[in-house]
Amino acid sequence: MRSRAEVEATLQTAKLNPAELLPVAHCLSFGPQAGAGECCLLQLEPGLCAELEAGRSLVIRGEKDEQAVLCSKDKTYDMKIADTSNMLLFIPGCKTPEQLNADQASCNIIHSQIAGFSNNYWELRRCRPKLKKLRKLLMEDPYDSQKDQTLTFSKYTTEDLLSLIQASEEEILHQLQVIGACKIEGYWRILEFDYEMKLLNHVTQLIDSESWPLSKVPLRTCLEELGSLEPREMIEHILLSYGRKYTDDAGEVYFEMREDKICRAIAQMLLQNAVKFNLSEFQEVWQQSVPEGMTSRLDQLKGLALVDRTSRPETIFLLKVEDLPEDNQERFNSLFSIREKWTEVDITPYIQDLCAEKQTVGALLTKYARSSMQNGVKVYNSRRPIS
Amino acid sequence: AAPLARSAGAGGLAQWVLVELQGEVEPRQSGGLAGSLLGDLHYTREGVPVLIVGHHILYGKVVQLEKPFAVLVKRGAGEPGPEEPHARYAVTALIKTKLLFKTRPKPIITNVPKKV
Repeated sequence: MRSRAEVEATLQTAKLNPAELLPVAHCLSFGPQAGAGECCLLQLEPGLCAELEAGRSLVIRGEKDEQAVLCSKDKTYDMKIADTSNMLLFIPGCKTPEQLNADQASCNIIHSQIAGFSNNYWELRRCRPKLKKLRKLLMEDPYDSQKDQTLTFSKYTTEDLLSLIQASEEEILHQLQVIGACKIEGYWRILEFDYEMKLLNHVTQLIDSESWPLSKVPLRTCLEELGSLEPREMIEHILLSYGRKYTDDAGEVYFEMREDKICRAIAQMLLQNAVKFNLSEFQEVWQQSVPEGMTSRLDQLKGLALVDRTSRPETIFLLKVEDLPEDNQERFNSLFSIREKWTEVDITPYIQDLCAEKQTVGALLTKYARSSMQNGVKVYNSRRPIS
Repeated sequence: AAPLARSAGAGGLAQWVLVELQGEVEPRQSGGLAGSLLGDLHYTREGVPVLIVGHHILYGKVVQLEKPFAVLVKRGAGEPGPEEPHARYAVTALIKTKLLFKTRPKPIITNVPKKV
């Protein structure tokens, strides 16, 4: 190890004046593992450093065939290697001038060992969580109380999902809520659509026969009246999915039924039976099918169905955004193969979920589409020929 | 999934420093880098870092990193390789400061023996 005398001698040779320097010097040498390549650098986006210091952890997720992502508790980031033409040495126990001044140590030497070095590091970029796989996994075996549960082999716990889905825990849990999944015997399940409608129908029929206001549906009575037909957890689940829960002053639990969500589900039930429908006929049947006191409106069907106002008569057909590709370019290709030219109003529900953190639908359209005017209206079409 | 475990103790993550140099680091003697000296690091009273490496003096500056780094250490079995993100990693330290040496090294011209 170098001595104070040797350091002073080097300073002299270098013609540096010790009086102009801080009294403490570092002797840097390479540690035993320095060349082994065991260490690497990860550049942290804002917030991640604070998370690590607060004791929270970060997780790298991805199967062998997937691009790795980094997840904090609530965000997901793409990982990419960035090269630098410089050499980066990482040194434990090396002090900055500030720290040395604060320390007021005497003339001594700090022997610092370089732990490792690199000419690249991992760069992070916030990305959309990759959640399409979540629905795909849960759709392997949708739940229906009438189905023989012993035949089920495809079931996932929260832990299973965390290891398979490239998203943060909060993003996964939020998406489970959005898609109406529920936990049955510790496993996350999505309901068979027909079964879900059957449950909803039980509830809406009961509301009708009891003449309850749609904003005050009592949980207790629902469970009592319907508990013989279906598992109680399923009754409660359907109420939670299609209503807003609240408790009155007496402590009784009620639900305010969600008109938009119920009308939308009934529309899906009607539309899934044919390729397309005469629009006005559909609207009539639809209004007759929704619960008394509810009003069906076309804007409830954004991202679920598409109206064709160019056909005579006007038609409507089922088009679910969750059935479309997750990748931006593939999504646009798919949309343009369904319809050549789109107005912004029509296409927005089908590309809204593609927007990155601060990106707008307009920015996406500028990037992936070409605009033109048609009959005084701005329309968007593909940038490239679609076969 | 590979969680980035915290390998530091209860006191929190260690703070390391990054030194950024131009070019490459090569061992002076055969037998690899491990254990060999890089050089002496001094600071002027104004806080300018000065690095003496071999026959060169490098002047640098202290930079507070806008985006700090986490130092990941690979742990456990697995194929070696720098781009293996699926291996298990532990966060061993944070780096918020770097000493950047960008200026051309000034050669030290010696015609006196180095030893005292």
